[in-house]
Amino acid sequence: MPRKHSLAETLRITFQSNWFYIALLLFLIVFPHLVGWITGEGPFGVRGRPVGQSIFWQGIMVEVLVFCILAMSYNLMFGFTGVISFGHALFFGLGAYALGLVLEYTALGPDWGLLLGAVIGVGLAGLIGLAMGFVSLRLKGVYFAIFTLAVAEMAFIYVGRWAVTNAEDGFALSNLPDLFNPTRNRLFFYYFAVAVTVATFLIIRRLMYSPTGRVMLAIRENEDRAQAIGFNTLRYKLLAIVLSSMMAALAGMIHVTLLKKVGPEVMSVTYTIEPLLMVIIGGIGTFTGPVLGAVGLHLSERVLDREFVLGPLTLNIGEYWPLFLGATFVLVVLIFPQGVVGTWNRWRLNRAQKRQSRRKDAAMSPAPGD
Amino acid sequence: MAENVRNTALVVAGLVFGLLGFSFVTTVILSDGDLGSFGITVMSGLFQGMILFLVASGLSIVFGLMDVLNLAQGAFFTIGAYVAWTLHHADELEAIPPDLRFVIAVSTAILVGALMGIFLERVLLRPLYERPIFQIVLTFGVGIIIGEIAKFIWGTTAYAWVEPFTLAEGSFRLFDQQFSVYRVFVIVVGFLLILAIALLLQRTRIGIIIRAGVEDSEMVEALGVNVRLVFTAVFTLGCAVAALGGAVAAPFLGASLGIGQQFLLGAIAVVVLGGLGSYEGTAIGSILVGLAIAVVAQFSLEFLNQTVWQSITPMLLLVFVLLLKPSGLFGKER
Repeated sequence: MPRKHSLAETLRITFQSNWFYIALLLFLIVFPHLVGWITGEGPFGVRGRPVGQSIFWQGIMVEVLVFCILAMSYNLMFGFTGVISFGHALFFGLGAYALGLVLEYTALGPDWGLLLGAVIGVGLAGLIGLAMGFVSLRLKGVYFAIFTLAVAEMAFIYVGRWAVTNAEDGFALSNLPDLFNPTRNRLFFYYFAVAVTVATFLIIRRLMYSPTGRVMLAIRENEDRAQAIGFNTLRYKLLAIVLSSMMAALAGMIHVTLLKKVGPEVMSVTYTIEPLLMVIIGGIGTFTGPVLGAVGLHLSERVLDREFVLGPLTLNIGEYWPLFLGATFVLVVLIFPQGVVGTWNRWRLNRAQKRQSRRKDAAMSPAPGD
Repeated sequence: MAENVRNTALVVAGLVFGLLGFSFVTTVILSDGDLGSFGITVMSGLFQGMILFLVASGLSIVFGLMDVLNLAQGAFFTIGAYVAWTLHHADELEAIPPDLRFVIAVSTAILVGALMGIFLERVLLRPLYERPIFQIVLTFGVGIIIGEIAKFIWGTTAYAWVEPFTLAEGSFRLFDQQFSVYRVFVIVVGFLLILAIALLLQRTRIGIIIRAGVEDSEMVEALGVNVRLVFTAVFTLGCAVAALGGAVAAPFLGASLGIGQQFLLGAIAVVVLGGLGSYEGTAIGSILVGLAIAVVAQFSLEFLNQTVWQSITPMLLLVFVLLLKPSGLFGKER
């Protein structure tokens, strides 16, 4: 029987168990104003024009949030349900292209174009995710991963040569409504991205604490057993894949809206590798892991992409970013495969256990001087 | 069981003859009746198939034995191409006649690939045998690192093969078309290699151990065989063969950064559609995919005036095969 709490008590408990997330959210809300205050420019840019440090950092944060959504969606499929897919970039790019095509190639106008483009993009990603999910009924493990990789690569090669969307050059998004135009109204766009990220996080967390989520975890641990207990595992896997695809499509839309350009690179394998690496670095199958991975990896990519002068030595890590990425892959996999959050949790658990056993030892051993 | 194999063989034969027939009809009958260009298509298909086989064979045997999908295989191909190019064009080796220089270049490429393979297996993969998915991720990272090192040494420019040697220069005429001797040479070497590896697997003691290991490596270990040593040997062989692939492809395709990745994707398609862990599946699959690429390239260039389709062909074929037979053409049902 769940105990009934008063409202104040519920709030207190919520705050106590979620203080980290609440602090993070507060930080995200305050962030543009903070940067504006430090640089003395204000969050809206300099003298009404959207330029300057604050605007620049809002843009970087939106990119980070895009990767957060992407990594969280990948984690839902890979980390929680145990479905390995190497084709996540397909959905990211699908959302981007659907939005761009509806906005630029139809006569719907900015407002309706954006709305309908978003709906079509998310819907299409969901449908294709559903189709791919049905394939997972027949193809298991590595076979499914390779299948998704093949489909995504085909789509990437095709859009790279597709004359309608200017092949490799892509096309610009010039039809955005003012409110969602990141060069006019970046602060709003920033808060919009924050809202989508928080919503994604909450949806995934709510799902994973529900009975459905428990079944997903069971599938990850042992699919045959989950099936034998009587769950229709396909249905749960489909749910995970479809949700994950839709979230990735949404991330793709935010990404291209910020850049105001849609090109074939949004379907490139980069958008599969980076979320995969972010999830592994942060911690597979954890809530905070993908977020930490996305923040860490993307921020370091942006920060390291300039020259550092150390005495006579001039370092330009940005030039060797892929090397850094590859080395991170190898080191993380070899040294802490459970990622930052997983390792932290294990360390905490170990310490708690040790303390407990020490207390037990103390209780068992005769008192000194006896 | 036997019926199953026969059915698969029939499907494969049907696919190959279908492709060839399609190409024959479109180039010889519907076009200007030129038998030579049909021959060129077939030869280019076999050539691509052989190069694919060189990347795919290692991938396939290693996966069958160790459950590792070695995504660094493409990088070994790239390194092989670069090493062969560099040695063959080195000023210091000017004194050696070009043919001998080519042989030295190819052997060195194989050696370098083998050494890197030993290092990768011994130092990096060993600790991870309990966690296959991490091995895939790891080899992927290693692939990136090797690619970056290659970029550091050779830069981003693509090197074309300019220094000639006897084989590369030779050509013969057939049906009014010029055929290159070098392609025939690579095709012959490829076929010999297919046979040699098949003999190694079927007729030698180490082959028996490898095949038994593919079935159940723990059982083989229990019988007192040092499976770890066999793992290293097979992995090294796979990497060396991939480097050989890069080296023999270089006189035709040159050496550039993306070349390995491009063949890796095709090779993955080959291995999976042939059936993971099945050697004959890989051999037949590479020829099939190579032919399909060439036929589609010829057709789409002539009739559709596009070049997209040939790049998509391996993946398209893979998707179709997987949907029809989830374990690949020669894979075991599980």
